[in-house]
Amino acid sequence: MAIINWLLTHLSRIWSVHRNRSCSRRTHSNNLMWARFFQHHASRTLFATVFLSTVTFAQDITLHVTPQSLELKVGDSAQLDAIVQDSAGLNIEAIVIYFSQSPTAVSVTPSGLVQAHRSGQHTLVALIPAKPQGGLEVVGDPGIRVEIPVIIAPSDLARLEIEIPEEIYIGTRVAVRVRATDINNEEKDVRPALSVSDPGIASVIAYGPLFEGTFHAHPFYDRPRPDLYPGDAAGLLTALAPGTVTIQASTNELTAERTIKVNHNPVQSLSLHASSEIARTGDVILFSAKGIDSREKKVKDLPVTFALESHPDPSRFDTVGAGAPAQILPDGRFVAEQAGVYTALALSGKAIAKKSILITPRDVHQDIELLGQAPVRDRVTSDLWVWEGLDGRDYAVVGTWNADGHALFFDVTEPDNMRRISEVQVDARTINDVKISEDKRIAVITREGASDRRNGLVIVDVSDPRRPKILSRFDEQLTGGVHNVFIYENHVYAINNGRRWDVINIEDPTKPFRVSRFEDKAPGRSVHDVWLRDGIAFQAGNTDGLVVIDVGGGGIGGSPAHPVEIGRLQNLTGWNHAVWPFRSKSTGKFYVVVGDESHPNNLRVPGPIIAWEERMTSRAMGWIHVIDFDDPASPKEVARYRVPEAGPHNLWIDWEKEIMYVAYFNAGLRVVDLSGELLGDLYRQGREIAKFYSDDTQGFIPNSPFAWGPQPHKGTIFFSDFNSGLWAVRLVPRKPEAKESQ
Amino acid sequence: MRNIFTTTILLLVHTSFIWSESKIDKTYYVYVAAESDDTVDLVRFGPNGGELVKRIPVGIFPNEIEGPHGVKVAPGGQYWFVSIAHGMPYGHVFKYTTGDDLPIADCQAGLFPATMDISPATGFLFVGNFNLHGDMEPSNVSVIDSVSMTEIAQIGQGIMPHGQRISPDGKFVYSVAMMGDELYEIDALKLKVNRKLKLTKTNSSTHGKMAVTKPTWAEPHPIKPLVYVALQGINQVAEVDLVDWKIVRRFHTNKGPYNIAVSPDGKTLVVTEKSNSSTGFWDLDSGKERASVACSNKITHGVTITPDSRFAFITVEGVGGEPGLVEVYDLESLERKAVVEVGKQASGIDFWKAEP
Repeated sequence: MAIINWLLTHLSRIWSVHRNRSCSRRTHSNNLMWARFFQHHASRTLFATVFLSTVTFAQDITLHVTPQSLELKVGDSAQLDAIVQDSAGLNIEAIVIYFSQSPTAVSVTPSGLVQAHRSGQHTLVALIPAKPQGGLEVVGDPGIRVEIPVIIAPSDLARLEIEIPEEIYIGTRVAVRVRATDINNEEKDVRPALSVSDPGIASVIAYGPLFEGTFHAHPFYDRPRPDLYPGDAAGLLTALAPGTVTIQASTNELTAERTIKVNHNPVQSLSLHASSEIARTGDVILFSAKGIDSREKKVKDLPVTFALESHPDPSRFDTVGAGAPAQILPDGRFVAEQAGVYTALALSGKAIAKKSILITPRDVHQDIELLGQAPVRDRVTSDLWVWEGLDGRDYAVVGTWNADGHALFFDVTEPDNMRRISEVQVDARTINDVKISEDKRIAVITREGASDRRNGLVIVDVSDPRRPKILSRFDEQLTGGVHNVFIYENHVYAINNGRRWDVINIEDPTKPFRVSRFEDKAPGRSVHDVWLRDGIAFQAGNTDGLVVIDVGGGGIGGSPAHPVEIGRLQNLTGWNHAVWPFRSKSTGKFYVVVGDESHPNNLRVPGPIIAWEERMTSRAMGWIHVIDFDDPASPKEVARYRVPEAGPHNLWIDWEKEIMYVAYFNAGLRVVDLSGELLGDLYRQGREIAKFYSDDTQGFIPNSPFAWGPQPHKGTIFFSDFNSGLWAVRLVPRKPEAKESQ
Repeated sequence: MRNIFTTTILLLVHTSFIWSESKIDKTYYVYVAAESDDTVDLVRFGPNGGELVKRIPVGIFPNEIEGPHGVKVAPGGQYWFVSIAHGMPYGHVFKYTTGDDLPIADCQAGLFPATMDISPATGFLFVGNFNLHGDMEPSNVSVIDSVSMTEIAQIGQGIMPHGQRISPDGKFVYSVAMMGDELYEIDALKLKVNRKLKLTKTNSSTHGKMAVTKPTWAEPHPIKPLVYVALQGINQVAEVDLVDWKIVRRFHTNKGPYNIAVSPDGKTLVVTEKSNSSTGFWDLDSGKERASVACSNKITHGVTITPDSRFAFITVEGVGGEPGLVEVYDLESLERKAVVEVGKQASGIDFWKAEP
């Protein structure tokens, strides 16, 4: 038996070596395939021995493809030729199929004509189809395959330009930008070598390959990094002595030159001002420097470099070994994560100015107390909505996930005594989202997993939440499933199968009808959630980031029937899931907050265990992105809130209190201070006010918080947990600090 | 006396023959997709009945139901493939090894990839992008090289392509456009549509609202130049002659014929009757229905037949929180031999192997 195993194994290895050569030899129905078949199926029996000894080798066929590899440039073409020979070396007729493993990068016609479209390393394949035998088929790659490697160089660059000020001052440093365009006038990402004609006048350093590499935005949806980073530079130039100097940027194809003038630095002194001399961690301080010349006049367009000297408070244990405790940006904005004394330095030429400030702990912590739980333990629960009913009592509706299509209603008037009062069941497995209309009369619940695969949404009369009544369902062109919805001014905004959102008029909730839809027509765009405020729709789009759309309040002509895009920010993490707008009362700034959802630690790995059914704890990843959206044409990601080793799900922002509530999956509920300008890592700045872990010893997965969605309501923070139902907690007001008696 | 003896001997021989015919002497394995549980379940049936061997979680998001729909075992049984219908927005096809069930590669397909089949000649997977997103617009069939798991072509089709099945020689794909009332024949080597057949005499709308026959499946005969097409909308299975390219026979089924399979010996046509929650068994020689058997629960879906033509495995979706089922039918006696609980909304099913 061992001999047979050895034989089978080595025959398979021999076979695998034969595969995928530029000249591939393959035998139809030969013994090696049968051997591998029996090896794979563990049928290593006497039958296999008999079988091997009674089958004869069939005729060998060889496929030759010329050229064996290709090196092309974008736009080039080439011709492949195939010759098929029998075992005697005679040419024979055979069907040869050509195909590309990356057709958008390199294509090939049925006759073997190759066209290069995009740079990179690619593979073409020539294939002679197998002749199926019927019954027990061969194991392995069908037919005879030859792979043809193709290397495609980028298209020729047509233009290289250096962008740098024409005149700079001695001792200052400026970014050198190099803009490259190809023959099609498309901008290209280049990392040129930089040099100067006179190193005594200026020095230059190139970033070179620093920015090369790949974005690992998602474990399964890796994207190549964008061709161009807005604002990135090829290198830095430092002016050393007066005179003219020529800067040269070189790629393999092109060279660009720019001559600039280095002038004496007129600055006699620098002054440095801080917007505040004492602040808390997380507060943004603006440093501004002013250069004064010999005539006591301000020097215009003076490049200033900022630096920072940090002295975090050594008495605080959280400063020990904590790494960089603060940052100062090139525009002078400063923010600290640690309490301490910080000295900003402004440098311009030989002039230096310093300014020290004191940073105290943010100290926003509040205790949080459990008021009550309305447990749901026989199934997992999804999103929630809390509202004051027409009778003045408070109610909550909670969806259920991958069960039998229930939405559950609770009386939450007394958060310490929440009671389940009713339910609605529809033909679905998952009610992922639930929303209540502004007039408190209508609930919209989403359907996924309907038995007739006509999913859509269901409209429910909740005038009396104790007796919810289904009024209508709407599934026309929503058959693939509605994952999230939002109700705004008698319209439902329904996420349609992760591809777009449809706007459905529900003025008569018994007769809903579609009025429009918003879809990014670029192929492959996706959308996960939409939230509305003040007539503007905010869309979180999985791999496609944030899109903001006017549906009546944006002032650019949008309406529910005619959504108009305001702006977008893509290239976030690629996991974007939930979105909330935030008008900062304390700064007047307008932010959009986008939450990720990612589960790289709980991939559906094969095995006998199914995570949620077998009660395995989940661990999400990702974070909250804060986007400065003051300029819709140029939104910028400015801050983040990231709890290590966990990931967020849904969120809610109280504009008045400037507080963000985040259902942070396995990190439970998080309450975060969003007051003031937002910059940097909000978690490390100590902006977290409170956290609550929804441990439930009898939960669907016991003691496994998996917070799904939060909503503050009348001073209580309600949130749903995937494993344990509905929770109510409250921030405990801080007591005034007792003054020491004299 | 002699006659009695002879009769007794004949009876014994006959009984023995029947006994040996009905004896289950192999264990059969099938892979089953559970669309609302995001699992592919491995089920076996043999002398000791049927049982769930294991459940393999598929997809990549633990907190989204991604909808595995079609499942296909590669010729030879070394790999299996599953289409994950929901996407962002495009769905994917994942490739797993059989036995240890390890994912080894995936490939993006189109909108809502559902049913699929693999050509034994080329290893190309033909995946119908069903596009359940609601638009009555033409979609396509993705062609995926199953070796490298790259999509090498998209072949344009009518509205809601479904039920792709490949001719025994691997050279042709038969596919229907459910809301276009059309049968397509695709050249599986040239990767283009060869011809299409309108399945209704009326001029049904290209927008799908007027689809009449609503075809859902196209199953080539294993021996003869025939293709069987399930016409869900009119409760028929049409037999299409591939030489004349026209319908030559019609089988009037119970409500909602959905997936179909022809036994490898070419004798039996098995039809899941989705809306009637039953399965129809037809004798292809006579064109007569042998039986239509009510299933154990609602919504019959997929069917696969063992290579020895002895057993048909049927999936039953169930509703809401109910488990899916795999039912095993003896194609000789038409008895239901086993019912195995699997994940919710059991849909695609394919035979893997038989062990002595």
